[in-house]
Amino acid sequence: MRNVITYVIAFLFILTLNFLLPRMLPGDPLMAIYGNEALIAMTPELKAHLVERFALDQPLWQQFGAYLLALVQGDLGHSYYYNSSVSSVVLGRLPWTLLLVGTALIISTLLGIVLGIESGWRRGSRRDKSLLTSLMAVSGFPDFFLGILLLIGFSVTWKIFPLSGAITPYSGLSGAALVLDVLHHLFLPLTALTLCHIGASYLLPRNTMVTVLKNPYILMAKAKGLPDRVVRYKHAGRNALLPVITQTGIQLGRMVTGALFVEIVFAYPGLGYLTYEALLARDYPVLQGVLLIVAVSVLIANFLVDLSYSKLDPRIRYAH
Amino acid sequence: MPQLKTRMPFRKALLILLPLALVCCLLVIFYGGREQPSESISYTIADSTGDWGYPSPYTHYSRGPGYVRMSFIFETLVWKDDSSFVPALAKDWEYVEEENAYIFELHDNVTWHDGTNFTAGDVVFTFEYTKQHSYQWVDSSLVESAEAIDEYTVKLYLSQPYAPFFQSVAGTQPIIPKHIWQNVTEPEKFTDAQAVIGTGPYTLADYSQEHGTYLYKAYSDYYLGKPAVDELKFVKISEAMIPSALEQGLVNAGDVPPEIVSAMEEAELTIITAPHAWNAKLVINHQKEPLSSKQFRQALAYAINRTSLVEITQRGHALAGSPGMMPPTSDWYYPGTPQYEYDPARAKQLLEGLNYTLENDYFTKDGEELELELIAAAEFEEVGQFVKDQLEAVGIKIDFSTLEAKTVDARVEAWDFDLSIYGHGGLYEPSILNKVIVGKGFNSARYDSNQTLNQLLEAQLSEMDAEERKELVWQIQEIYAEDLPALTLYYPNWYWAHDGSIDLFYTKDGIAIGIPIPLNRLAFVR
Repeated sequence: MRNVITYVIAFLFILTLNFLLPRMLPGDPLMAIYGNEALIAMTPELKAHLVERFALDQPLWQQFGAYLLALVQGDLGHSYYYNSSVSSVVLGRLPWTLLLVGTALIISTLLGIVLGIESGWRRGSRRDKSLLTSLMAVSGFPDFFLGILLLIGFSVTWKIFPLSGAITPYSGLSGAALVLDVLHHLFLPLTALTLCHIGASYLLPRNTMVTVLKNPYILMAKAKGLPDRVVRYKHAGRNALLPVITQTGIQLGRMVTGALFVEIVFAYPGLGYLTYEALLARDYPVLQGVLLIVAVSVLIANFLVDLSYSKLDPRIRYAH
Repeated sequence: MPQLKTRMPFRKALLILLPLALVCCLLVIFYGGREQPSESISYTIADSTGDWGYPSPYTHYSRGPGYVRMSFIFETLVWKDDSSFVPALAKDWEYVEEENAYIFELHDNVTWHDGTNFTAGDVVFTFEYTKQHSYQWVDSSLVESAEAIDEYTVKLYLSQPYAPFFQSVAGTQPIIPKHIWQNVTEPEKFTDAQAVIGTGPYTLADYSQEHGTYLYKAYSDYYLGKPAVDELKFVKISEAMIPSALEQGLVNAGDVPPEIVSAMEEAELTIITAPHAWNAKLVINHQKEPLSSKQFRQALAYAINRTSLVEITQRGHALAGSPGMMPPTSDWYYPGTPQYEYDPARAKQLLEGLNYTLENDYFTKDGEELELELIAAAEFEEVGQFVKDQLEAVGIKIDFSTLEAKTVDARVEAWDFDLSIYGHGGLYEPSILNKVIVGKGFNSARYDSNQTLNQLLEAQLSEMDAEERKELVWQIQEIYAEDLPALTLYYPNWYWAHDGSIDLFYTKDGIAIGIPIPLNRLAFVR
């Protein structure tokens, strides 16, 4: 229960920030809320309507009330650049981000865990050393740099993968061919993101394995004559998972914008690219909408991590 | 543990083999499945932004590319090719001076995409409709009233004599079908299939906001002839990848950065260069000491070497600015515009004439060092640094900082600055001079203290005789360059590359109100 209250407070804090920031920008708040497009699009009647809707002529606390009321109704605001509601713009991009970042996160986490456990089990072996070195080297590159390398190699020089986008426009594909087309476009950005994330999700279980392996119960398990694989994954591996879950939780929260650079490099139509476009066009309503969604997803991810902890490790339940 | 030894290599191998197998699968499948049968001729245009809104008059984004996408579907009364105004929906026109009205004779064989006949009633309806719902790019108050004389003749009464009427109204206002729009009360939200029924050579087959793609199909009953390609596609490709896409033949045309032009030419692509339409300026706070002095502003102009500014900050891909604002490549350019050729000695002399004395490296007056603040958005960082170096070289100390663009705009708007750098387009048509010299807002010099200049500006807008108007525009440039409320620094070069299958061209004075994009729909008709 105390946990839930913490989350509510954090959420309200984010809402307040999201409300205050554009109103603190220099100049007309209406311009700040709606960006440059409003200059062109705004007629006096529309302006009056917006001032009323956001209660901009009212004291700040009443404006806050109007803001909350609109949010409760699912109204994230209106983008003058896109000439449509922010929620519809954001929702159009969300599936692509989920596809790209979600897949990258799953692959890199699973692969990282398996490699980490294997590596930690025989620390110092040649395999461990070579894995450590190569994964650290690859993860050391920024994701966009890896993306550019892949793009230049596989798309520009060898012409194996498409140059940009998420599908081949107007190719007339459908069914399985369309799915393959989407995968074809997904491959390079996905590889770039996965390679970047894998280092972090590899290191944690590897390090934990090293400590866990010193525990007497591992010796006990071995002494019982259990197969090696069982000791490694069931006894040691499970305990090595906790920090990985934490970290994946944090990454999950950043998922929405985490792929910003990769999405820009590959012109992938996700939320990261949307953020970039909104920044260029100074489309504040969209930026705020994305900000709110990122903030909320961080909160939700943290909450889920909290829940999964006690499932994974019953000791946590007694800690409070 | 013997079992361990046998299992290990297997798992290790699996870890490596699985992804490899996946890659191979993908490659094989895609390489096999990439060939697409194409029975119709299509033309693909690359764009790095992609999405420019639903291509209907009230829903396209208010930027040039949005209008261009709409202009393949909707037409205006007149249009332009690469040299002059040409007939569009109107085949002939006449100006009746005593009534300050235009009579347009319309084509009688035009049909809307749904098969309905286009008549004078649609034109009258459009101008009446815009009185209630003004179209974003046309000042609806310029047309007093519209009247259908017969089924194919329409008369537009102007509210005042307005020289750029063709450029800003008759050649920009898209004509919409009465039978569809008469029931539309919220045009900004009208986005169904009916909203893209026009008279143009192409109809919209698909639009995707998130992918930033458009698909157009040829309209076979187009009155000016059969469209040149059956399918027209706009696809989104990131800026850096457009040259590769052109080279690989994935797209037929796209804009390319100046640095890549020679490589494109080697790849046997056709390069076309836009007439200069955009300028970056040194914005000067002429309301404030010491910048309120004309001599001081002239000293600034002498101190900045605009030719080397172009070489250094734009790597040569621009034209040095003319102090009269209109680019030397324009028909409106006044050849006698004072140029302020780079002359640091003359700049110092002017400052000394204003009772400044050079002490150490900087000028001082009454014991106070001459220091000015220069603010600019990050995109002008290099230019700002160059200007700072040049001004400091003659003895004017500059405190240069880059700020968030919005903050710069707000401070310029509030006159809370000394110098700033800002850019704007629209230099094809001299009505821009009124907007950016005496107009309101941060993007204007708001310089209205020279009465002669004010009168000339007002007169050029209403001068209906082209030659006399040109004379006025010349005088404006001379006075503006003399007074220097702002100083044009450079006009950047813009390029497009294409494969030559369609003869793309830049429209005279830009598409409609002056869009510097070489995608005139006429190139796709002839």
